Amino acid sequence: MNGAVAIVKKELRSYFYSPVAYVIMGVFLFVMGVIFAKFVAIYEAYNRARAFGQAQGITLDKLALYMYQNMAFILCFVTPFLTMKLFAEERRQQTFELLLTAPLRGVELVLGKFISAYILMVLMVGLSFIYVVFMILWGNPEMGIIFSTYIGLLLALACYISLGALISAMTSSQAIAAVWTFIVLLLLWLLQSLGQGVTTKWGFIDWGPTLVYISPLGHFNSFAEGLIHIKDVIYFLTFTIFMLFLTHRVVESNRWR
Amino acid sequence: MIEVRSLTKKYGERLAVDDVSFAVQRGEILGFLGQNGAGKTTTMKILTCFMPASSGTATVAGFDVFEKPLEVKKRIGYLPEIPPVYPELLVSEYLSFVAELKRIPRSERPRKIDRVLERCNLGSVRKRLIGNLSKGYRQRVGLAQALIHDPEVLILDEPTIGLDPKQVTEIRSLIKSMRSERTVIYSTHILSEVAATCDRIVIIDQGRIVAQEAISALSSAGGTTKTEIVVQRMSDQVLRALRDIKGVSNVQPFSNGAHRIVVESEAREDLMAEMSQVVVNQKAGLIRMSPVQLALEEYYLNLIGGRRDMQ
Ligand SMILES: Nc1ncnc2c1ncn2[C@@H]1O[C@H](COP(=O)(O)OP(=O)(O)OP(=O)(O)O)[C@@H](O)[C@H]1O
Ligand SMILES: [Mg+2]
Repeated sequence: MNGAVAIVKKELRSYFYSPVAYVIMGVFLFVMGVIFAKFVAIYEAYNRARAFGQAQGITLDKLALYMYQNMAFILCFVTPFLTMKLFAEERRQQTFELLLTAPLRGVELVLGKFISAYILMVLMVGLSFIYVVFMILWGNPEMGIIFSTYIGLLLALACYISLGALISAMTSSQAIAAVWTFIVLLLLWLLQSLGQGVTTKWGFIDWGPTLVYISPLGHFNSFAEGLIHIKDVIYFLTFTIFMLFLTHRVVESNRWR
Repeated sequence: MIEVRSLTKKYGERLAVDDVSFAVQRGEILGFLGQNGAGKTTTMKILTCFMPASSGTATVAGFDVFEKPLEVKKRIGYLPEIPPVYPELLVSEYLSFVAELKRIPRSERPRKIDRVLERCNLGSVRKRLIGNLSKGYRQRVGLAQALIHDPEVLILDEPTIGLDPKQVTEIRSLIKSMRSERTVIYSTHILSEVAATCDRIVIIDQGRIVAQEAISALSSAGGTTKTEIVVQRMSDQVLRALRDIKGVSNVQPFSNGAHRIVVESEAREDLMAEMSQVVVNQKAGLIRMSPVQLALEEYYLNLIGGRRDMQ
């Protein structure tokens, strides 16, 4: 696994030497800030309403759920920008030849790429913790929920990045990689609402629930509601491992074509 | 050390390498010569396990490139056609990444990096961004990458392209200095380069090998070689004396400003020595004597069916 470590170090260097990482992090935190501001506004309105004895069942935790759903969704927009270059750029600038002719296993290459993007995104999501600190300073959010939500975010990130890595491995254009990653992530999210509308049964498969199951949204929501179900954990892990497996196939396919 | 047996590569319907077989002995420098699109790069990519052959086999250091790619990769240093460098890294950062990638133990890395920087004359740019380097320097960084782990086998795809003449000579002598300790395959379309550095050449045209011979055998392939002798004083005696040497078939004087004599003879080194002896004995004032690599050039162009006009 030494090869993977070498890749991770190099990738992180490249990330931080280019403005992209900083811009993306900045934009992410800004958007989160806007959402948080709205969250604060709603919370204040709720507090005022409560003072008049008109509380409408809004709780801090409900608001937090709303904020984190937004965050998980925004990460769909952010991920493609950070995963697009993983393999596509190596292809474009012909450095793939270096990686594929060095004594490096395909697994090490794929894991190294995945882990480097993961570290970067965990760092980014970690920065959003300042909003949690604000929440704690103000009210008392349920820490259990925040904990489970962050677990959910970490798992969702892994699945987003693995998908981005796979798509990046299939092209030599960063732009194409970014666009497709975004489209597929968006579709995956939409499957949730799509699936809820579908009641048809074609063949043996009950399509409605299947589509809902495939979408990460439902799985993430249970984390954001404070529930850590093993089936959701398994969903995210299987998704990630499967994507990384496919990425490995694509990278190795160079050797088979 | 390297053995290639009926290697064939198809890109879709396009036959890029067609039933190519050759072998390279340990310590040998093999020139891989061919026109654009002949299939040099394709063959090298197969040898370095970058991509598979459509059929045929290749082994490097006894390991099959398809069955045991990791073992092969450990033993190969490969400089692709386009140097595989990251523009956003410093030269030193790039080389330490490569050193790690090539599994050089941590303790040896600084030493190996320093040595390769020196060998490729990169000392002055070690703290420069690769993206800001000139083409020639980038090429040298690429070469450093191939050499850093002291591989047994070096596969260099047009290593001297984009370099200035001084660098070209330096790289050539670097390659020559590795004769007998490393096995080198290197591709080029420059004939004189092969003649100057290689032990043996393989000429490939449209995916097929059209000739593979030792350089020494090749330069006499046309039966003769030409030697140009520049003298201070031209005289009939010199010409006659030269004609009298056994093995010399034709002596042609030219006098336009400088006095030049072109001697056509069998391709043997002792003949050169004898000619110089004769010129000195005749007190013609020997200025310069150099072989004209015409036979090789002609041979090459005949082989690949080129119809360029050679004077
Ligand atoms: N990826 C590819 N897809 C399709 N055809 C290819 C591909 N790469 C090379 N070829 C074709 O294969 C043939 C051999 O190409 P190759 O790059 O091996 O030539 P070369 O000898 O290295 O030429 P050059 O001196 O220009 O570098 C050419 O006809 C080329 O068009
Ligand atoms: Mg080539």
